Amino acid sequence: MTVTEQEIAEYVGRVRAALADLPPTVREELTEDLPEHLTEVAAEADGSLFDRLGAPEAYAAELRAAAGAPVRKGRNLDQRVAAVVRRIGGGLHTVDARLGPPLGYPSATEFLRLLRPAWWVLRAYLAAMLVTVVTTGGSLGLLPRFGGELLAGLVMLIGFLLASIWLGRRSARLRSWRRWALHASSLVLVVFGLAGLADAEERAGYYSYDPIAVNNPYEQIRDVFVYDSEGHLVQNARLFDQNGNPIRLGYPDCLDEQDPYHANPLLRPYPYCPAQAPFAPRAPVGPSAAPVLPPLSGPSATATPEPTATPSATATPGPTASTDPGATATVTPTPGATG
Amino acid sequence: MDTTQLLKGVLDLAVLAVLRHEDGYGYDILRRLREAGLEEVGDASVYGTLRRLFAAGLLTTYVVPSESGPHRKYYSLNAAGRDQLARSGKLWRSFATTMDALLDERGAAA
Repeated sequence: MTVTEQEIAEYVGRVRAALADLPPTVREELTEDLPEHLTEVAAEADGSLFDRLGAPEAYAAELRAAAGAPVRKGRNLDQRVAAVVRRIGGGLHTVDARLGPPLGYPSATEFLRLLRPAWWVLRAYLAAMLVTVVTTGGSLGLLPRFGGELLAGLVMLIGFLLASIWLGRRSARLRSWRRWALHASSLVLVVFGLAGLADAEERAGYYSYDPIAVNNPYEQIRDVFVYDSEGHLVQNARLFDQNGNPIRLGYPDCLDEQDPYHANPLLRPYPYCPAQAPFAPRAPVGPSAAPVLPPLSGPSATATPEPTATPSATATPGPTASTDPGATATVTPTPGATG
Repeated sequence: MDTTQLLKGVLDLAVLAVLRHEDGYGYDILRRLREAGLEEVGDASVYGTLRRLFAAGLLTTYVVPSESGPHRKYYSLNAAGRDQLARSGKLWRSFATTMDALLDERGAAA
């Protein structure tokens, strides 16, 4: 196991943080070549710095004592926060070490470190796709394009790949704001990637179907025919839901020149085309090949006639909506209706 | 009383002593001290002591580039350091003699 520069930088950072109460000049004097010293230490033997030297805070305390610097007294808010962060860091370190063996590595970090080049490649791809989205205005395939050009997109991808790998190999040496900028841009790319995945998932169709549109059982209906309990076709029937709103089904495809509802087809009563009734009238004479709907036996014969369907009515749905559900046909045929 | 307590007072002298004949870099100095029998000495203590002696003007440093590993910062005794080593050494010997005599008189020594 080799100790990385990043590990050394972190260790030095925590030692310096633990000495934060010292005057800057003293602290600088104590730690100015600590990175070089720890690099030497790291080169001498195996094991992480943490394992070999203990916690950076303990190291700092020993360093402070050996160098004859004053021992810290009170702790300010910064240091208390730092102590909490340190404790969490210690916990993470334990988890890290515990997770390692099941993965076949000394620590989970070791395992994840191996995956870094994969992240560099993914990062380059995501950056290229981001440019694709920006230059082509939102449409997103699987391959990057630059302004719609696939070849230019591939060249860009290769460029990003090289840059990302170069950056990845140097990132441990980056300091302060450059490092933050790198982390921030990584975060942006991760968010962009997740959004892209969600988008692709949606377009793959797992969420896009509108179940109502697919399963609407009334989609095929073109006309509605109401029969009363005697099997007579009810003319000028009107349908309402429980709130008194008209139920519109089908469409009048046998348009009549004298249709009084020509102006507003929504006011047309059912059936639109009585001539196309599926069942023939029962009582009237006349040879008809159409089947006959048998009368309904039972109490439903007590249908209450209501003069609902007069052609000149200005559609007052109130009284008609409150029909008794027991009655199968509350609408009486109105003689002289248009048809 | 453990060794750590004793070490605190004499680590300066010990570090100056191991640099008397040969310059050394941080980890090398730590190894020499441990090989000499000061096994409980910690890396931070040695590093801190080196920094302090350097700040006090008793040591000079120079960097030796290395092809295989990291560059190493070597510490060497300068004139002031040798002077300090001589004085502190003398003081330690007289102190040790006093302590020996004290322990012998009381019959405490093994």
